[in-house]
Amino acid sequence: MKKIATGVLCAALAASSMTVPVLADDQEMVLYTWEGMFPQEVLDGFQEETGIKLIYSNFDTDETMLEKLSMAKGGDYDVIIADDYIIEAVVQEGLAEKLDKEKLTGYDNINPLYQGQFYDPDDEYTVPYGAGIPLIVYDPEMVDIEIKGYSDLWNPELEDSIALTANYRVINGITNLTLGKSMNEEDVDSIKETGEKLLELAPNVRLIQDDNTQNALLSGEASVAFLYTSQVMAALAENPDLQVVYPEEGLGFGIMGMFIASDAPNKDAAYQFVDYILQPEIAAQCFDYMGYYCTNKAADELVDPKLVVPDSVSSGEIVQNVSQEAEEQYNKNWTEFRAACD
Amino acid sequence: MRRRKFGALWMILPLYVFTLIFVAGPLIYMIALSFAEANEVHGVNWIFTLDNYRKILEPVYLDTFLQSFRLAVTSTAIICLVGYPFGYFMARMPESRRKKTMLFLMLPFWVNSLIRLYGWIIILQKKGILNHILQSLGLIEKPISFLYSYPAIVFGMVYALLPFMILSVYSSAEKMDWSLVEAARDLGASRTKAFWTVTFKLTVPGLLSGIILTFIPSMGLFFIADILGGNKIVLVGSLIQEQMTRAGNWPFAAAMAVVMMVLTTIMIVMYRRISHVKEVEGIG
Repeated sequence: MKKIATGVLCAALAASSMTVPVLADDQEMVLYTWEGMFPQEVLDGFQEETGIKLIYSNFDTDETMLEKLSMAKGGDYDVIIADDYIIEAVVQEGLAEKLDKEKLTGYDNINPLYQGQFYDPDDEYTVPYGAGIPLIVYDPEMVDIEIKGYSDLWNPELEDSIALTANYRVINGITNLTLGKSMNEEDVDSIKETGEKLLELAPNVRLIQDDNTQNALLSGEASVAFLYTSQVMAALAENPDLQVVYPEEGLGFGIMGMFIASDAPNKDAAYQFVDYILQPEIAAQCFDYMGYYCTNKAADELVDPKLVVPDSVSSGEIVQNVSQEAEEQYNKNWTEFRAACD
Repeated sequence: MRRRKFGALWMILPLYVFTLIFVAGPLIYMIALSFAEANEVHGVNWIFTLDNYRKILEPVYLDTFLQSFRLAVTSTAIICLVGYPFGYFMARMPESRRKKTMLFLMLPFWVNSLIRLYGWIIILQKKGILNHILQSLGLIEKPISFLYSYPAIVFGMVYALLPFMILSVYSSAEKMDWSLVEAARDLGASRTKAFWTVTFKLTVPGLLSGIILTFIPSMGLFFIADILGGNKIVLVGSLIQEQMTRAGNWPFAAAMAVVMMVLTTIMIVMYRRISHVKEVEGIG
């Protein structure tokens, strides 16, 4: 997610240097997130509609955000957008406002697939704003089998033809899913089994790479790839005939969440902003611009169809921190797996 | 006299301060880190433990050391076989051609090594230039998968490090007194005998320093294995990087770095014993 944030840096430069019309009443609010998270029209539109001056403040990493928000004791900023795992800490430290859903007319537009996640199990604090979902993409011209889920990656037909991203928790996680376990399995013995299963995938792996993994697919070096969202979009932009698979075992995703700071200087404006973004037309503009999966059900029809997860997919899980022993075993699985790929 | 000494001290002092801060400091920090404990989420707990070193002895991680060693030996051997004759014959060339050869040898260094590696990807990939040429010549029917294999990594290593071998063999062959070879020939030695007894012996220091200059870096050049090998071989370097960044286990990374450093130091000491040449590696 941070990657995309820097990826659209150029566009964001424009956003940060925006000129704000002088308004009659001096209302203002501070939006705190990565650069390049909103198209300029949306930001301008909000200011025109409400007359509230919007100040777009950036952070580079989630950790910086937490630190600053924590120092300001939940003040200084009104609306914040950050990654799932950091929001868990924000909520624990009491830095997020419990949302008054009465004030959010568009609240029901949210796609329930992205709700009830670990960082906000009862949906009290956050409104999802875009999701990144690693997915399988393949070239139907080069692949003879039909790929429906992760388990098809183990098919011997795919020998030496898969390009994988290098996030070891995610790769261990999808292996867990094929075994019917949680992505965040904590039991070390069970994780060892995952490692054995993962080793069986080794003969099919053509390469492991974290950056521009889609290039391997586009250059014909690999015929199947497991890619991050930005890479899926880049691959489809180059070759629309590629097939995207929403694995039947369930998705692993990362969600960006929007929340209001607990001591926000201008809470009313903050609610207005969140509600503004929840409007389907506005949401669609935002997701089109960001290139992340649409978390607004009402916007599904309006947004680029590539950014909509089909209705057939009903479950998803987020990679979370696990105990140190589990983490170490996942890491060991990964090293053994990589060594076995050669 | 006294004043001069005092003046000299002031001249040297910045160097000592620099060394203390930027060499000794990080080194001590790394060694200390390698005995600490990794925190659950991120960061370090300063509790003394030997676990990080114990962990290196586990087969998975020990294997990465062996892999790195194997790759370094393989590439260094090939570099020797190619680089020695190259350097030798380069020294025997006439002056003008020697200069041109030197220029061609240095030319690739003007381009960043990562960019050169990506260039090799363009050449070697399935729809790449090499496959295209081979196919249009009718030599092959289906494109060959050159990339993401062990030979591709060795090739990348040889490509990146060969100039160091050539230059060090060249410099020792160039300094050699060729009249010694003539003398050997006059005294009845055959060409081969003269080469092995005179030329080779006198160029051994160049060969050895070339080996040091290629072997030690090749233990650490993991980005070649990552880019041309598709991350499929786990070298110590990439394991350290992964532990630092993704896994957030700094103490384990530090322990591996310490072991790596000890191993290279042993190699340099061994080399010094054999060659008695102390200047080359900069610690003489």
